[in-house]
Amino acid sequence: MTTSTVDVKAPEQAPPPAPAPGRRRRFAVHFAHYKWLYLLLLPGVIYFAVFRYAPMYGVSIAFKDYVPFLGVNASPWVGFQHFQDFFSNPDFGRLLGNTLILAFLNLGIAFPLTIVLALLLNEVRLSILKRTVQTLVYIPHFLSWTIVASLSFLLFALDFGPLFLFINSVLGTDIDFLSDPAWFRPLIVLQEIWKNTGWGTIIFLAALATVDQDQYEAAIIDGAGRFRRVWHITLPGIRSTIIVMLILAIGQMLNTGFEQIYLMTNALNRDVADVFDTYVYFVGITQGAYSYSTAVGLFKSLVGIVLIFGTNALAKRFNQSGLF
Amino acid sequence: MTRRKLSLAAAVVTATALTLTACSGGEAPAADSSKITIMAPFLEAQPPSADGAVQQKLEELTGKNVSITWTPNASYEDKMNITLASSEIPQVMVVQGKSPGFVKNAEAGAFWDLTDKLEEYPNLKTTFPEVEKNASVNGKVYGVFRARNPIRSAVMFRQDWLDKLGLKAPETTEDLYKVAKAFTEQDPDGNGQNDTWGITVPKFGALGTNSPYDMIETWYGAGNRWTERDGKLIPSFETEEFLEANRFVKKMVDEKLINPDFATFDGTKWNEPFFNGKGGIIVDVDSRVSVLINLFKQANPNDFQNKVGFVGGLQGPDGELHTHPTDGYSGFLAVPKTSVRTEAELKNVLQFLDKMNSKEVAALLNNGIEGVNFTVEDGKAATIKPETPEGKTVATDIKSYAQLGTNVTGNNFYPVKQASAYEQEVFDKRVEVMAEDLKSAVYNPAAAFVSPTYVAKGAQLDNIVADARIKYLAGQTDEQGLKVAIKLWKTSGGDKVQEEINKLWQDSK
Repeated sequence: MTTSTVDVKAPEQAPPPAPAPGRRRRFAVHFAHYKWLYLLLLPGVIYFAVFRYAPMYGVSIAFKDYVPFLGVNASPWVGFQHFQDFFSNPDFGRLLGNTLILAFLNLGIAFPLTIVLALLLNEVRLSILKRTVQTLVYIPHFLSWTIVASLSFLLFALDFGPLFLFINSVLGTDIDFLSDPAWFRPLIVLQEIWKNTGWGTIIFLAALATVDQDQYEAAIIDGAGRFRRVWHITLPGIRSTIIVMLILAIGQMLNTGFEQIYLMTNALNRDVADVFDTYVYFVGITQGAYSYSTAVGLFKSLVGIVLIFGTNALAKRFNQSGLF
Repeated sequence: MTRRKLSLAAAVVTATALTLTACSGGEAPAADSSKITIMAPFLEAQPPSADGAVQQKLEELTGKNVSITWTPNASYEDKMNITLASSEIPQVMVVQGKSPGFVKNAEAGAFWDLTDKLEEYPNLKTTFPEVEKNASVNGKVYGVFRARNPIRSAVMFRQDWLDKLGLKAPETTEDLYKVAKAFTEQDPDGNGQNDTWGITVPKFGALGTNSPYDMIETWYGAGNRWTERDGKLIPSFETEEFLEANRFVKKMVDEKLINPDFATFDGTKWNEPFFNGKGGIIVDVDSRVSVLINLFKQANPNDFQNKVGFVGGLQGPDGELHTHPTDGYSGFLAVPKTSVRTEAELKNVLQFLDKMNSKEVAALLNNGIEGVNFTVEDGKAATIKPETPEGKTVATDIKSYAQLGTNVTGNNFYPVKQASAYEQEVFDKRVEVMAEDLKSAVYNPAAAFVSPTYVAKGAQLDNIVADARIKYLAGQTDEQGLKVAIKLWKTSGGDKVQEEINKLWQDSK
């Protein structure tokens, strides 16, 4: 990443533009000088061109009435028809609401918890304990959502799931966690926390290792307690990492995780469970409405882009250090 | 999802690129007439191997090099849609139903219209023209349908519990309630604990999936998906009988005669509560009777008789019997135009399908290989005991190969001889009950009709009602809420569906 930034910036530092032949020669000199760096850049460019940009051609079906048999070119254009249908659909508000609520819950709860866990791990003095705990909290990341969902079904099963029995006997209630719409979101967030919090600490732990140890010694001499040290030294030390991770997380925010939600949905909680991802699958893949679901997906991507640029601008405004 | 969408898009792009290359490369080579490619679903844990005995025998009997792409049944519809968008299209595709994806492609000309073509082939000229019409898209036949018994709905119950409590097998829906109540409250397993319930119902999604709800509604007289009232077709959920039937089911849910997790219970575990003595009744297709008997037999080969009892359709509160039939088919074998380009190639494929429905191939697909896994006794296929490893493989493989059977001229293969006299007796009774129920079958009058609006958003529309039905039963909404959902179905496009269906219906008369 750093190398490519250097490359891109290099031409800007070149002297003011000369007549065309000269400029071309200058570029040739420049290119010859940096050829190995450009070579390093090449695989990345090819990757993005082939796997990220070329497929965008397929996005054109959002503006067509695509029938697989006719192919992309022969399918008739319909303009913004699919977008109109989607925005005027009674499902639209519900889908947007569900997606945003889940996204913000994940961002607001799971994201800070990752930092908290990283800080806790950082404070563990006993090396062997720290490493063991670290390894243990990474494990859930490697389980697929299918397994996480099956575990949830077992634990919360009506009348015999251990957690179902325990929670309801403690609270004296009779809650069916799996079908009660009010419990759908908490369950999803809990699963997300269980599965991914540990894994997310890796980058923060790396950032924590770079915090200057001398500052802690100085703070201890000044009489700062543990919390003071965390607040005034550790957190500011990893602030830029937190912001970068936050921007990345917000860019991914609307990807609420298709498998997880699909597996946890049933007729009773569908009202709160339907999100863009499951809707696109249901309408597009199972009902063959490719164009319509591509339009929905495209809309989702646009919202994602707005979010990522917005957050970046905000971050720059407050810290002068955004992602780009 | 973006990734999923992009990979789909990538596939589309690759497909287009390939098409372009093919065009610029001049004439594509003519298809090899000795090779047939097929896409079919498999329902077992593993697909059959490509060089198994059944495969070899199939190639020998048909004289073709048959290449089958087995696709898991659970994701078949997805896979079929994606395959149609790709460049690797098989010559014969099992299509599981008139899904919107299929209809759109068919109407764009993706499949051969076989309406007037099947008559020339003795084994494809159906003896059930009504079913062929049901399987058509507004009269156009896009495939050779896979025939199924029209009557399959049954009520299965623990015969030992029934005997212990001194009850009679249910004949009416009211009897069903009484038996379910007794199974719940009178300790049918005699362990002194209140730990049983009446009917086990698993998670069912959509409308018209032959779910227990659908069956009970038909028994109540609500019709079957669509019903004729005052000279018009209306969806059965608009009838008063639909509401009555659901009040009846709700009463059973409220009195805990149905498993409380009916909205989430995993359908693949449907047999477990029955077998383990938790829930004593299952309302499903009658083939489950043998599955249940087999469970008890495996657990105790000496004492498995009289554990499973069953009856067919139940009389509704109006005192009449309205039985719940299927449409008589389970999808069809369609021929894509992209892979079969000329009439001559089509002829080749149809000849192959004709052969597939001949007596000898039908016996291979459904019974297996004579002398390896079965022998013929009194015109019936008897399993060879003890099973050889080879015979076992064949027996497993044919469960998948049977998916390729069409049987449009009736069952050409041997009826299976049951393993014991008791099982034979139950089997014969099943055939008898189903034949009797056929007389009072309430067919779906709109089975053959495909309305454009329904294709566009029918599944979403139906979900409104299907979800409301479950919510009503679970007590999340009241009857008013259910009625509101039905109204919402109408205003969100259902009215248009109804109009189109009625027009198609009038035109077909």
